[in-house]
Amino acid sequence: MKILVAGKGGVGKTLVCGTVARALARAGHRVLALDADTNPMLGVSLGVGPEETERLVAAREGLATGETAHERSTAGVVERFGHDAPDGVRLLLASRIDTANPGCRCCGVSAESLLGELEQPELIVIGDLEAGLSTLMRLAPGQADVVLVVAQPTAKSIEVARQATELAGDRAIRVIVVANRVRDDDELAAILAGVGDPPELVVVPDEPAIAEADRVGRAAIDVDADAPGVLALVALAERLTGIGAAA
Amino acid sequence: MRLAVVGKGGAGKSLVAGTLARLLARRGRRVLALDSDPVPGLAFSLGAEAPAAPPLEAAVRRGADMRWRFVDGVGPVRAVQRYSTPAPDGVRLLQAGKSGPRGRPPLMGAINAFWMTVHGLGSAPALRDWVLVGDLPAGSYQAAYDWAPYAERFVLVAEPTWQSLLTARRIARIVTSARPGVGVSLVVNKVSGPDDAPRVGAFLGLPVLAALPFDEGVRTAELQGVALLDVAPDGPVVRAIEQLTERLAARSLV
Repeated sequence: MKILVAGKGGVGKTLVCGTVARALARAGHRVLALDADTNPMLGVSLGVGPEETERLVAAREGLATGETAHERSTAGVVERFGHDAPDGVRLLLASRIDTANPGCRCCGVSAESLLGELEQPELIVIGDLEAGLSTLMRLAPGQADVVLVVAQPTAKSIEVARQATELAGDRAIRVIVVANRVRDDDELAAILAGVGDPPELVVVPDEPAIAEADRVGRAAIDVDADAPGVLALVALAERLTGIGAAA
Repeated sequence: MRLAVVGKGGAGKSLVAGTLARLLARRGRRVLALDSDPVPGLAFSLGAEAPAAPPLEAAVRRGADMRWRFVDGVGPVRAVQRYSTPAPDGVRLLQAGKSGPRGRPPLMGAINAFWMTVHGLGSAPALRDWVLVGDLPAGSYQAAYDWAPYAERFVLVAEPTWQSLLTARRIARIVTSARPGVGVSLVVNKVSGPDDAPRVGAFLGLPVLAALPFDEGVRTAELQGVALLDVAPDGPVVRAIEQLTERLAARSLV
């Protein structure tokens, strides 16, 4: 099964991706978390640690430096460049942009190529996409089973979520809108009015434990596994693998 | 004064860029706001009507060799004159191509026209007296690929969260390695205690030019998709950005 997390920058994509990945792994699933953002931060939300996350080698740059023998198969790329995260989650970074003029990106390993090729029975791939809509636009129809579209109560993120929901509808079997940092019914109503009737909805309340996790650079599920915001994402993980989910 | 505002997604880049642009215009400067994000952003924070189709699309044509070129009679300055749109307080807004609805590809012509325009602004005498305020998309991508060649100073917006700090550090390293001597100014957003701003400044090794506190007005403006200046003009964040404007203006005179 392939799950993608999309939305505007700063809405909480990485939180959703990291927490759902951990919850799936705790439920006994084999999970590969793919950081498809060129500013990769998924390690922080998974609980790898901030400075450790900065040291992780991404597949694209790992292959390009030539320090490692060229690895053609995607399974080999995962084997070589995958990193261990808590609860047995494997973390793979597609690419990290941290130098000026990093060169042409039209060939070589990319988030899209990895997403297209990562397909194994009994493996759940969950991908944290780059902020905005670009990766979703480049995906072919049928490349994802589920797209989680994250929005928060801001007009900009709601507009991006509306567009992402439309795009995802053409590319995935299931589209779930995750309304994040919701304080009250009015905020939820604003999100629903802007995004349009989502087929499925998950509400993550504005949550002190999640804000604290962001500040200290830990996984929200490690800061407080019983906080309502974390529980909402754990329940989402159960929904993804429960009735009606693609195996 | 030529600025580009950078940082992690959600750090408050557009809020700072939009408010700063209008405050500079109110001081009598001619201001061009440059929005290179393919998803909606700066127009909301400026309080401007954003045209659905980017007008810059008309500035270029694609040749048989598949390269985009300006149409006859158009160069970077003419592109700004013709295809920027009005924003409050007399600010002009130039937008790159936005993503289209329902999987329509982003408007490549407008994106290419924007790229060619910003790369021609630095040397244009007609715009010498203009203040440029660029708002870059989330993350390090556009900083790495030189989307703000006009910038004499990068305004780095960071929150006191690890993801924001690491992103800010990466962007600062990229822009200073590409252009040694370029200015980098730090704005710390969403500070909730006296330690937050100094902690962020110490981590990044940069002086804090402004610290923006939590402000209910920001929440309202963001929810409604309107400019902070039109919702909470007397709030703490507008006051802090006014101070930032003064400090940046003082710096650019040196």
